[in-house]
Parts: sequence; C-alpha cells; structure tokens
Amino acid sequence: MEISEILERLCTADGVSGAETAAAQTACELLSAYTDSARVDNFGCVTGFIGDRNNGRPTVMLEAHIDEIGFIVTYIDDEGFLKVGRCGGTDRRLYAAQTVTIHTEKGGIKGVICTLPPHVQSDSSTAMKTEDIAIDIGCTNRGEAEKLVSPGDRVTIDNKLAKLIGTRVTAKAIDDRAGVAAVLYALELLKGKEAAYNIEILFASQEEVGERGAQISAFNSSASVALTTDVSFAYTPDAKKHECGEMGKGAMIGVSPSLDRGVTNELKALAKEQHIPFQLEIMGGSTGTDADAVCVSHGGIRTGLISIPEKYMHTPVEVVDTEDIKAVGRLMAAFVTGGANNV
Amino acid sequence: MSDNGELFGLIGKLSRLCGTSGDEQDIRKFIMSRLPSDSEVRTDNIGNLIVFRKGAKTPKNKVMICAHMDEVGFIITHITDDGRLKFAPVGGISPAVVFGRRVVFANGTVGVIAAKALHQLSDSEKEKQPKIDELAIDIGAQNAADAEKYVSPGDFCYFAGDYEEFGNGFIKGKALDDRVGCAIMLTLLNEKLPYDAWFVFTVQEEIGTRGAACAAFNIKPDIGIILETTTACDIAGSEGEKRVCELGKGVVVSFMDRSTIYDRELYKLARKAADELGIKNQTKSVIAGGNDSGAVHKAAGGVRTTALSVPTRYLHSPACVMKKEDVTATLDAAREMIKRAADA
Repeated sequence: MEISEILERLCTADGVSGAETAAAQTACELLSAYTDSARVDNFGCVTGFIGDRNNGRPTVMLEAHIDEIGFIVTYIDDEGFLKVGRCGGTDRRLYAAQTVTIHTEKGGIKGVICTLPPHVQSDSSTAMKTEDIAIDIGCTNRGEAEKLVSPGDRVTIDNKLAKLIGTRVTAKAIDDRAGVAAVLYALELLKGKEAAYNIEILFASQEEVGERGAQISAFNSSASVALTTDVSFAYTPDAKKHECGEMGKGAMIGVSPSLDRGVTNELKALAKEQHIPFQLEIMGGSTGTDADAVCVSHGGIRTGLISIPEKYMHTPVEVVDTEDIKAVGRLMAAFVTGGANNV
Repeated sequence: MSDNGELFGLIGKLSRLCGTSGDEQDIRKFIMSRLPSDSEVRTDNIGNLIVFRKGAKTPKNKVMICAHMDEVGFIITHITDDGRLKFAPVGGISPAVVFGRRVVFANGTVGVIAAKALHQLSDSEKEKQPKIDELAIDIGAQNAADAEKYVSPGDFCYFAGDYEEFGNGFIKGKALDDRVGCAIMLTLLNEKLPYDAWFVFTVQEEIGTRGAACAAFNIKPDIGIILETTTACDIAGSEGEKRVCELGKGVVVSFMDRSTIYDRELYKLARKAADELGIKNQTKSVIAGGNDSGAVHKAAGGVRTTALSVPTRYLHSPACVMKKEDVTATLDAAREMIKRAADA
C-alpha cells in the first residue's frame, strides 16, 4: 500500500482523545500485517510486539499517538443546539460554519457550527470563543436532539484526505496518524530483515489532552530504548524560521535536554550514513510530545524523538509531505537494524 | 405539486456545481440541458440565461421571475515566489469561514487556507481572526514555477462543501444561495404554466446584482418576482427580532431590505395568497441583505417587484443550512404568485 493510502485509512477513522476506538481499530488492523500480537488495550492504546522475549536482545519501542483533537458534547439546549468543550487544542480561528460529525452510539450524524453571515455581522476581527460554539444538527428542540445525541459524544470537523500537488496531502488528524504511518512504514522496511532489537509498538491514546495514554501504557513496557514520532511545525511565512522545520526536507531529529543524547546522536549518524534526509529540531526543555511521558516511565526509557514537519497543525486542513513520513520510517528502521551497541 | 425527491436531487446537483460571479457557464450549461423543448432560450451579452415559455393564457402583466446562478467564491490575484496563491473573495465572505478551509479549482487542483499553528500564536494573536488579505492558498507548491503549472492569476476557486441531508428534514451545502432559486425556477418551468412567463437565470448577483439590471432592461417586465435565499439568524443565543427569520416558518416575503422597498400591494398579495393556500409564510424582522430586486425594481423605468426567499442559515459559507419544508413552501408560493401577478 502507498503511504498516502495508509494515511488516508488512518485519517478517515475518527478518534478524538478518550474515544479512539475507530482509529485504534484501523491502526490495529494495519499493524496485524506485521504481528499477531496487535491489540487495543483498555485505554484505547494499540500495542504489539515483534521478536522473541528470550533472544536476549534489548527492546525498542516505536511510538506515535493515535488520538486527534476534537470536541465533546456537554449540553443540549432547548432548541436542540449542542454545546461543546474541547478535547485538545482546537483552533478558534476556524470554527464558524464548519461541517462536523457527532460520533454517537448509533453512528455519526452531521452538524454545522453556527455562525452569523456577513449580511448581519459587523465585527469579523475577533476569533470565536469555544464557549460560544453551538452545533446545528437539524433538530428543532431538545427532545428531538436527545434521540440522536448524548452528552459525552465526541465531535470531529470533517475532512477526508485529498492530494495536493507533488507528494503533499491534506486531511484532518494527520497529527499524529502521519506518525502511525511512519511506524508502519518502518515495519514494512524491516520485514524479513535481521533486527538488533525486539520491537514494541505503541500507538498511544490521549496525547492531545496531556500524553496520558503513553504514560499509562509505557508503564507496562519492557523497552530500554524508545523512538517516538509526532508532527512538528513546518515553516510558513508568518512563523519564525528558527521555530520551524521545513516541509520536504526530511525527518526532524529532536534535540532536547529531555531526550537521550546517545539516541539522538545515533539517529543523526544513521541519517548521515544512509543518506536519509533530516533536519534538527532543537528545543530548550521538554518536547510537548509523548516522548516526555515515555522517557520518565518506570525506571526511565532512553528516548529519541523524530518529528514529521507539518503545516497548519490542529486544523482540518493539516498538510504533510509523504516523503517526510517515509524519511522518518526509514530512520526508525535504520535504528532498529543498526545495532544496539552503538547507543 | 412537484415531486420533492426530484427537487432536492436537483438542488444537490446544482449545489455541487461551481460558478461564482463571472464564471457561471457550468451552471448555465446544466440548466440549459434541463429546459423544456418548447421554451425560447437565449443567453444575453452579460451571460444571463433568458427563458420564455408560453402558458395557457397571455397575461395582462408581463411577469419576469429571477434567480441568480452565481455563488460566492475566490479569484487568484497573485502567486508568491514561494508558490502560495494570494486571493480575493468574489462576493461577501466572512474571514471566519475562510480560515481552515479546503478550496477546489476547475482543473481539480486542491488547496487549503490556514496559517501558522495556534501553538505559535502570541496571546493577542489568539484573539484575532486573520483577515482575508493576510491569508494565502497552499496547493502544495514549493515555488512559483511549481504553482504556475496548475493555477494562473485570474483563476477562480471554490469552497469544498458537500451537499447532504441531515437532521429532521434539513439540508446543507455550499452555493444553496441561490441554486435553490434556480432549482425552483427549473421545476416551475417544467410544469404546465397558466400564463406566459419570462424566467431569467441571472449572473453576477453576488458582486452587486449586475446581471439582473441588464435582464430587466431587456425584458421590461411589469412585475418582477425574485426567488432567493435570505439570512436566518435563528441560532443558539439569538433572540427576538435579531433572529431575522426562522427555519420551519415557511417562505420569507420581504417588505424592505437594504436594496429595495418592495411593492406594497405585491407584498400583501404574496402573503394573502400563501395564507389562502395554507403555505407557511413569514417576513424579516431586520432590514438586512439585498438581492436582484435592488436592480430589477429600478430598471427600465421601474418594475413592481416582490421577493420570495428560503430562510437560510450560514449564508456565504461552505455549509448553508435550510429546512426542506421551507424550500417546498417557497416553490408553492412562487407557483401561486406567478398566477396572481399576471392579473394583479
């Protein structure tokens, strides 16, 4: 399968933090191509193991998060409009008139976020507040709406994957299904190859609300080393160059006091040696990714972070270059085959 | 009475077509393919599609019914060195419905409109809605030469918004303003007409009711009936007169908006006719918006004009929302009004 097809399958499945089932099941099915041990745990995390626990090799964890940002229904008003809270950092600048899906027990139903048109709205300079969101689900009173929706149902802004020109694609939830795709791509490259490690796979839930799934699941890990992958900022002209990577320029190897320096250096050396496009992402403190939870799990796991440059993060029009996803997958695969002794 | 399934199938097809002001040819072509064979059809110099069809009788008054083919959209104004497309809105579009959207071009090229991530915003930037001229369309190009292979300045692009039915009898889609008016006219045109009538599918309504002015000058009708959509603000937190009009309360008959003071007798006639037939009808509680009436009523020495509109939420966005029963109420009211206006 092409990387864009894998990404399309992953992004189409919905999985707002704490309700990752559909996305987790899709990832679990894709992971099953590489191991019989793939499963979804009680917290919505997808786990799997490739190798032999008794072969004496160390274990490396390959990690990405499976959840996406979205909303949760908090209240149904008298006229059948839904009020919501946010799950993760949703972007206030884009709420108005978005088509959304409310993921109910009986399946998805459509809605539109209310807004006033330019004909009657005088102030268009202020971003809408999350507390002012009301979702129109085509009902005229609370009773009608309650038959369809329950408080606690999750809401996503719709957008199926579409191809831009070249190797770039746009969709919702590329953060961090691109990371999941990178891990799967690494496993594809490793098929039939001699590995220096046993491999644990973790697609963690609830990253967007504070790296919770990774913390919970990494507790059960037997890995001594971990490679986590997430999306990071690709440069757009309104941003600061020194705070961004560049799209199409390859894997962003994280350099941070919270990451293991040995793993980081190994990743840099492997990328150079194997001509895998890479760039550095240098951070002053923690990383804001699951790496922060994984590296302090139980006695500590030596953790590296490889990020995929992404534009328009946390919007339904996130953009990524599939060549960058491949670069991250190649780098992970190189690490797994490259020899534990070097770390 | 018309077959509703057919009407909403037609609305879905028209909603998915793309045609902003000055780019209406696809809409015109589609409508032309569905006109009855006994109608007289011509496209005038500005692009209006003018259809005359004989009815059972010749009326005392020459009646012209209008709906506009164009929708709001975007035009590419400039390609930056790094391959982004600067653009201008065609028609009135709020910046709030532009940010975070996907757009499509006639050749299938897809673009997105957004900016740096919210994580990178300062506290004051977080409160601001970016202006349209601060934004650009990203089609995945790495530089200007890359982008120019797919897009040129002057090209139009459109909201990607699918047409769907949802909730209890609601529909949503882009360009329902005014493809719903077009669908109603097509439906009426294909019925047996009681009187001769002129049906005009106009161009360039969204940039200032430009097409309708030419059509009215050419036809010189006694009476104009404008079929439109109008702003409904019956959303959460909106109360009293601020709701303007409401979904589920039927066809909207206007007495005044920002472009027209409507003919009083026709206004009363439209409401009376609807009442008599049990067609739900309402009026607007705010003087807001405008439509082709603004051009028509002033044309050719003056035309007595009325507007029948479908109350619509989120106008000029990728997801306009209507209630189906209001669409059929508007169709039924329009059918009756053509009859009554003929001798009014």
